[in-house]
Formats: sequence, C-alpha cells, structure tokens
Amino acid sequence: MHRRSFLKLAGLSSLFWSTMLRDLCAAQGPTVAVAEGTDHGRITRSAINALGGMKRFVKPGNTVVVKPNMGWDRTPELAANTSPLVVRTIVEECLQAGARKVKVFDRTCNDQRRCYQSSGIEAALKGMKNVEVKHLEEERYRNVALRGKALSEWELYGEALSADVFINVPVLKHHGLSKLTIGMKNIMGIMGGNRGSIHKQLAVALADVNAVFKTHLTVVDATRILTAHGPQGGDIRDVKVLNKVVASTDIVAADAIATTLFGLRPEEIAVTVEAHRRGLGEMRPDRIKVIRV
Amino acid sequence: MKKPTPARISQLIFLALFLVLFLMTEYRGSDRIVAAVNGFFRANPLTAVTTLLAAKGYVPLVLPGLLVLLFSLFLGRFFCGWLCPLGTVLDLVTGRIGKTVPPSWLTGRVKFWLLLPLLGAALFNLNIAGLFDPIAILLRGLTFCLHPLVGDTVRGGWRGLYGIMGEGRDLLAPGFRLVNDYLLPFREALYPLAFASLLLLVLVICLERFGERTWCRRLCPLGTLLGMAARFSPLVRTPDAPCSSCRRCAAACPSGFDRELMQKEECLACMACVATCPTGKVGFSFGLRSEEKPLMERRVLLGGLLSGFFLARLFRFRDPAARAHLLRPPGVRTEEEFLHRCVRCGECMKVCLRSALYPALAQAGVEGLYTPVLIPRLGYCEYNCTLCGQVCPTAAIPDLPPDLKKREVIGKAVFDKNHCLPYAKRVDCIVCEEHCPIPQKAIRSETVVMSGFRGEKLSVKAPYVVDELCNGCGICENVCPLEGKAGIEVFALRDRAPLPAALPGDTAVPGAEDPYR
Repeated sequence: MHRRSFLKLAGLSSLFWSTMLRDLCAAQGPTVAVAEGTDHGRITRSAINALGGMKRFVKPGNTVVVKPNMGWDRTPELAANTSPLVVRTIVEECLQAGARKVKVFDRTCNDQRRCYQSSGIEAALKGMKNVEVKHLEEERYRNVALRGKALSEWELYGEALSADVFINVPVLKHHGLSKLTIGMKNIMGIMGGNRGSIHKQLAVALADVNAVFKTHLTVVDATRILTAHGPQGGDIRDVKVLNKVVASTDIVAADAIATTLFGLRPEEIAVTVEAHRRGLGEMRPDRIKVIRV
Repeated sequence: MKKPTPARISQLIFLALFLVLFLMTEYRGSDRIVAAVNGFFRANPLTAVTTLLAAKGYVPLVLPGLLVLLFSLFLGRFFCGWLCPLGTVLDLVTGRIGKTVPPSWLTGRVKFWLLLPLLGAALFNLNIAGLFDPIAILLRGLTFCLHPLVGDTVRGGWRGLYGIMGEGRDLLAPGFRLVNDYLLPFREALYPLAFASLLLLVLVICLERFGERTWCRRLCPLGTLLGMAARFSPLVRTPDAPCSSCRRCAAACPSGFDRELMQKEECLACMACVATCPTGKVGFSFGLRSEEKPLMERRVLLGGLLSGFFLARLFRFRDPAARAHLLRPPGVRTEEEFLHRCVRCGECMKVCLRSALYPALAQAGVEGLYTPVLIPRLGYCEYNCTLCGQVCPTAAIPDLPPDLKKREVIGKAVFDKNHCLPYAKRVDCIVCEEHCPIPQKAIRSETVVMSGFRGEKLSVKAPYVVDELCNGCGICENVCPLEGKAGIEVFALRDRAPLPAALPGDTAVPGAEDPYR
C-alpha cells in the first residue's frame, strides 16, 4: 500500500470509529446480572447462569483462578471478606464446567493464616478435589510491563497470569480512601511489592493494572455489605444485608452497578471513572443491560 | 550396641517431647495452643524459685516447678538425669568430643558463684536466671538461630527450584507442604542475638571436653539448685565408693565419680552404674545418710548473694531514647512486674504470629537482655491473636481472652508530619487508617484543603490518631508505605491502662439491630 493511501485509510477509519462505530459498539453495551435472594449459593449460580452459565467461561481442562477478597482477619458476618458460600458456589460451578484445577488465593493484609481461617473460605473449600487454597509464594511474582500513567511496571502473581480463566470475586464494601472497594480494587490482591505506595494515585494506578490484567468474569458479593469503617470494619452495626450478587464480564460495569446498590453513583468512584475514560468498560447505567433474577 | 538404660529411654522421650512441643509453639489454625514448650519451664525449679523470689508472691503457674524441687528432695537430681533436654543433647554428643583435664577454676565453687548471684538478684527484683537456664539456652538456640536457619535453607532451596522447574514444581508441592506445615517456622525471622544464642549453646556443648556433663555438674544453675535439694535425698547409691578392683561404674558415670566417694549433689540418678556393675552389687536404695561436709563456705554464700544485690542494682541504666520505643507484648502493664517474671526463654518470640517480638539487645539496658520487644516495622501485634500470653510460662505476659487483649495498650501511635505523605508531600495515602483494626478506627482522616508546593489548592485526606482508641498494635507503622522510617510510629507509655470496654465515640444505639437475626 502506498503511504498516501494508508494515511487516508487510517484517517478515515479513525473518523469512522470516533463518530459511528464507537456508538454502535457502545449501544450494545455490557450485560450485568443482579440476582437477589436469601439463598446466597443459589443467587450466585443464577447470576452466572443469567450471563450464559459458567460453561461460557470455563472450558474443560482449564486452570481457573478464583480471587476472593479475604484480606482481613474477620469472620464472614463482618463483611470484610467475600462470603465463603459465594466463593464455594463459584468453585463448584467451575469444576462442573470441567475445570482441571481451581486455585483460590489472596494477598492478605493481616496474617495470611488467620485470614484464610477467619474468612471461612479455607474451611468452605476444604476437601474439594482439584481445588487449591494456598498461601502466596513470593517467587511466583512476575514483573509485568504496564506502561500506564502511574505505574510503568509492577509485579503480578504468576498463577493469576498463567491461569486460563480469572474470576474476580470481590465483596462490596466501604473504603476510607476510594469510597468503595469492588472489582477493580480487588485486583490489588494479585499485586506484589509495596502496594501501599500506589495509594497516592490509587485510581490511576488501579486503572493501569486493570488495563493490562484482564478479568474474565467479575462476581460481586453484595450479600451483605460493609457500610462504614472499611475496608476492614469489625463492627456488626456497620453491616447491612442486601442479599444480592452482581455478575458481569465487564469489570467496570459490574463495579458501576454494584455502586448503585450501595446507594452511590458510579461517577463518584474515581477508579470507575478513570477506567471508563480509558475504555476499559462501561459505567453509565443507561448503557448497561441489567438482568434481574 | 548397649542395652539402653531406663534413664536413657526417658531422656529420649522427653527430648522428643521437647522438640514436638517446640514445633507446636506456632499458630496452626486454632486460636488456642493446646500444648506448647512452656510446659518445660513450668516444671523448671529454677524458673519457679527465681520467679517467686522476684515477684514476692505466689505464682500458680510455676507450681509444677516447685513440685519437681520437692521431688528432688527425695529422688535427687532425677530431673538432670531423666528429663532435662539439654542434658540429653550433651549425653548424645559427648562420645564425639575428646576429653581433657578440666581447668582448676571449673572444679571449685564456681557453680555457686553462678547460682547465688542469680538468686540474690531475683531477691532484689531482677530475675535474670533465664539467661543461664539450661532449657532456656537450648530453646533460644533453637528459636533464634537453628530453626530459622533450617527454614531459610529449605525454603530457599524450594524457591530456587521454582527458578529451575517453574510451575512444574507443583508436582513436588504436596511433599514440601508437609515439611513446610509441620517442621519449618512459618516465617524465618532474623533475630538479633541469634549468634550469641547459638554461641552459648555451643559453649555448653564444648564444655564436654572437660568431662561428661561438665556444664551440668560444674556450672548449670538449675543443676546446682537441684543438687542442693539432692543433699537431703534419702535415695543413695550403695556402695558409696567404687570397688578398687573394677571401677567400671566410675567410668560409666556421666557425672564423674572422680572424688572416690559418691557425691549426692552431683549424682544424676541415671543409674548407669547399676547397669554396668558386673557383680550386681551396685544399687540405689532409700536410707538415711547425712552429708557431713558443708555445702559451701560462708564467704561463698554471702559473697554470692551480695553480688546478686550488686547485679540487681548496677545494671539498671537505660537509654531514655531507646526507652521511647521499648514496646512490650500486649497485657504487660508495668515494666517492673514484667522483669520480675520474664524468663527470657524466647517462647513469645517463637510463637508471635507476625514475628513482631524480638529479644532486646540494648533497648532495655543490660537488665533487659533477651526480654521481648515489639518492633512494629518488622511485625505488628495481630488484633485477634492471644498466643504470646498463652505460651508465657510465668504469666509475665498474661493469658487474656481476645476481648480483653484487644483493649490492652502497648503504646500510642503518633504521626511524624515531616515524613507522613499527606503532610509532607500533600498526596493521599491512608494506608494506616485502612489497616487500623479498631472497629471505630483509632486512625481517622479529615479532608483538608492544602496549598501545594506551586501554590495550587489541593484536597488531601489528612490522618490523625484518636488516642482514646489506640492500643498501639503497630500495624500502622508496619504497613506505612514509606521505606525505612515510617510516617507514624508507636511510642511506649508508662500508663498502660486498657481501653475502656465501651469505646468513646461508639454510638451504640440501644437495641441496635443485628442484621443476622
């Protein structure tokens, strides 16, 4: 192709993209399933089924990473960690879809042994075949080039990088700095190094990581939420029972809809806004197809 | 292969028990530790006597130690010959160490010059017997040096294997997990005094060069104490001298028998002599035989106790700056009471979930050597954990239920605004607030408008400490993302009154709904 015709084509196609195609694509919008009910196992399953079932994501023989938030030495009812029942249901669905191995881990803030124990997740998955609940091993971190606005590179956990399917299972809760912590913030659990240092530009840094590290499925645990003193909580009076589970392939959309369940608007959450601006997903509720089950 | 004597079998069983308990002194998924190595200290008469002398009152925990002392009045030094794990270690290695004649200073009254000052110092409120306690020497050598060394080596190899095999290493993981979960320390902390701890242990072993059980006979303060009790013991060996024609029993005796007459205070009651006597003439029986010669000269007794007085009074200097960071384990209210009881055995440091406790080198002066100090930058006190109090053999760290332990004050956190990011660099951070475990948050933040360094207006979350809620656990200092020195530090306090049960600012609504009901 001649240089001139290439430039023409490139120029025209970018024009075409910005004016028409973009809206066309956006119009289709992502789908978010919101399931409600007191049987938290059942609503987790129905939220995933509303998106087409786990078989859509997990193919036979796949290695799956299920990444809950179990960063704190708190018991399940305090809503600082993902509900063990939700995690167990997702793991069961993965196995049923034919997963060869399901790995469940988190980089914890409190002592890892106590977090795995108190969160109830280790116990909930105990004895399940082909399921690994292991502490992180520092040698598995790999330096990943992010080329982002805040982070040029960062260490990410090898088993998350090498997994065929990555399922992000955050809990919806209050956070002192970012207002809320949901799906995109939960990805911090696979980050190595001095994570605290990214707090000075948390939203930008999280968007940097999420732009490179792709979550295949996000399932937000909003069965009960921590409304204040997050992300750690510790007072049962800060906990509100919502009996909801949110699922989507679009992490930004999942975060946005979960935000509305919390009673906030997506544009109030800096990470969501930053991620949407970069085209990582949709945050406008009117462009998101919400399936309620 | 000789047939093992009952004493040897008992020794091996207790050594194995010691090692198993040592490995059990670690968090294994349960909030309570059922059995820990502290059992050996609770049954340790030296710990019992010095703790009672220093505390000037009855400490129920040391009752087993007093009972052992009482039994020693009847059975002699059975503890040394049948139980003591350090003695067993010495017995196991002594065959490989060539022997030579002991120097004259070792054969004299030196053991009393070691024991009596320790007792005297305890009487004058300084309990440092643990520094020379045989079980503490062994335990510290293991805790601070050998166990972390093994952990570091094995885990280093495991990491190296990842470099070679990559994820293929997972095939070997089940085997490694078994070793990792049951034999290795959870994290291999580097301890100050690691080398000194090993050195003391090695020195004790090297003393074997001057004859079997030289440490036990000629230095060990615990052995000397038990020897004093053993003088009253009616359990005696007959005949009390070896037959001149044979002397096999004298050769077999781990305690020497080099003074031609049975020395009750040095006899370990191991009964090796009974097993070796070809004629079956040697036996132990209960009978009265009074010891004629005096235990020691009066000047040794007085001099020893007096040096204890000096010991207790002259090593109290403390650097005030170091004192500001002298953080004690949770539940320790006053420094004095703590020093009366602390054995310096290292168990709290072994069990500490976050490896937050380290032996004091200079922070607490000479009198505080080897006592546990919390160093938040290395590890913090885990909010829901009560392990250190559970394993402390003398309740120097009280064993508190979690609800009470959470309210015990270790110190108070203070921001250093010259370092703390929001103040010094005008950027958001709040990692400390995020990690503060107090449900109502002892670290809070307010959004303030600051002018940036180019004069622009910035909205920054500025953190502050609520003193009434802070228990000084140190997680804030631990997680502060600044390198080296943290932007928030925990400082020691004299007044460590616990936080009130109903925390201020806790706006408890009467009849507040439990969302799970």
